[in-house]
Amino acid sequence: MICPRCAHDALDTLAHSPVPGVWDVLQCTRCLYTWRTTEPERRTRREAYPVQFRLTQEDIDNAIEVPAVPPLNAG
Amino acid sequence: MPYDDLRSFLDTLDKEGQLLRITDEVLPEPDLAAAANAAGRIGEGAPALYFDNVTGFTDARIALNVHGSWRNHALALGLPAATSVKDQVEEFARRWDAFPVAPERREDAPWRENTQEGADVDLFDVLPLFRLNDGDGGFYLDKAAVVSRDPDDPDHFGKQNVGTYRLEVIGRDRLAIQPVPVHDVALHLKAAESRDEDLPIAITLGNDPVTTIVAGMPMGYDRSEYEMAGALRGAPAPIATAPLTGFDVPWGSEVVIEGVIEGRKRQIEGPFGEFTGHYSGGRRMPVVRIDRISYRTNPVFESLYLGMPWTEVDYLVGPNTCVPLLKQLRAEFPEVQAVNAMYTHGLAVIISTKKRYGGFAKAVGMRAMTTPHGLGYVAQVILVDEDVDPFDLPQVMWAMSSKVNPKDDVVIIPNLSVLELAPAATPAGITSKMIIDATTPVSPDNRGNFSTPVRDLPETKEWIGRLTSMLAKR
Repeated sequence: MICPRCAHDALDTLAHSPVPGVWDVLQCTRCLYTWRTTEPERRTRREAYPVQFRLTQEDIDNAIEVPAVPPLNAG
Repeated sequence: MPYDDLRSFLDTLDKEGQLLRITDEVLPEPDLAAAANAAGRIGEGAPALYFDNVTGFTDARIALNVHGSWRNHALALGLPAATSVKDQVEEFARRWDAFPVAPERREDAPWRENTQEGADVDLFDVLPLFRLNDGDGGFYLDKAAVVSRDPDDPDHFGKQNVGTYRLEVIGRDRLAIQPVPVHDVALHLKAAESRDEDLPIAITLGNDPVTTIVAGMPMGYDRSEYEMAGALRGAPAPIATAPLTGFDVPWGSEVVIEGVIEGRKRQIEGPFGEFTGHYSGGRRMPVVRIDRISYRTNPVFESLYLGMPWTEVDYLVGPNTCVPLLKQLRAEFPEVQAVNAMYTHGLAVIISTKKRYGGFAKAVGMRAMTTPHGLGYVAQVILVDEDVDPFDLPQVMWAMSSKVNPKDDVVIIPNLSVLELAPAATPAGITSKMIIDATTPVSPDNRGNFSTPVRDLPETKEWIGRLTSMLAKR
């Protein structure tokens, strides 16, 4: 399985369903996209994931900071 | 009657027929968000929604759309459910004048019942987290009250901030937070980061309904949200001391999360379907490390659907945005009659005002843009005469269509500040702003042909009463 959003192949499991075996919550280690395995395919499968929401490593690297990290006080 | 916690307010909503308990099993996605999305399309009488049978969970309790209608908003303020919007805003403004009302400190907070600390912290174990919109980067806490203190003046009760900011769950013990630079928590974070320090915070979920209203309210930097909550409740707001940070938090919260915003760190966050009706992000935003969670047994997870307006957030921040602008404008310009800032948290505002002399209304519009909230919002101001109700949009459109000469009455000012989320801003955080002066010109601004307006007949007011009464008796 790969990340639906950025196609990265390293995923973490953040949670298992309290009722065993119903769903897991997965997270991409690169773009932090988080999803439940029972969500619709448009949120869980790379092939169905909307183009306008996809991210690349470049997108992540170039994302603006909000708010910007301020300069350190002098002294 | 003021509510000390969310549960007592849910009981009232239930008794008033304004709480819909959905007992059929539903999927966490997309059902929860879709149901709340649908509630926002029902209209001004929409109920709150309560779910306790969610696939895969054993004891999830989820409340949505709690403030999501004018009826629920009225009940939150202890007013009759049928109170009109105009009357709710007027009552809100009247109660404001009781500020400050000192809070009441209590030591027996119900969220002390359960605790997770350190390596045992696991948000997923405490909360039935779920996603709202398709393009969201993950699961969000979007109806919390975030408490922080000014690192340069930590003992100043008024500078302690209680605000609502979006929080993305990016780990079992980690959140990403969006401190928009015009908001108070961003000032606190900037002070901490300038000293290379973390910023301690407490995040409270499932709060009493007035705490939620004041947390979303644009208030002066050194004014206490708890003291305003007391004014709006008509009784002191109950608060308690958070065990790790020592911060003042609502006594009645379902969950209290404590930790720090890690200084000088940014990590990818979002996108999130925002109150503007557009996604914003992904951007690199600050990160919260959670060190402790305190929670009531069987906590109710209160969340809020937002997306294309109107949704719950528009009811939640409608009156509480109108009133500060009204008060701040009237302090210098008593001619101001009413302020409608209910559109997208005040990105567009309609103000009715009397005029001292020609050009006065435009000055009122410019002042609205320079209020503390206006600096980050108020991108469009429509000024109307004192006899136009700014909450009555057909009246406003009449003023626009009949009073405005675009060459003279539309003023555009380039490169002013706005919050980064404003979709039309470019670059993010910068926009032009517009004043539309739809008031009747007065001397020495002698323009147009406005000397013979048609007025309602003298007998009309009586007939409104007669017809309204007849309709009510049908």
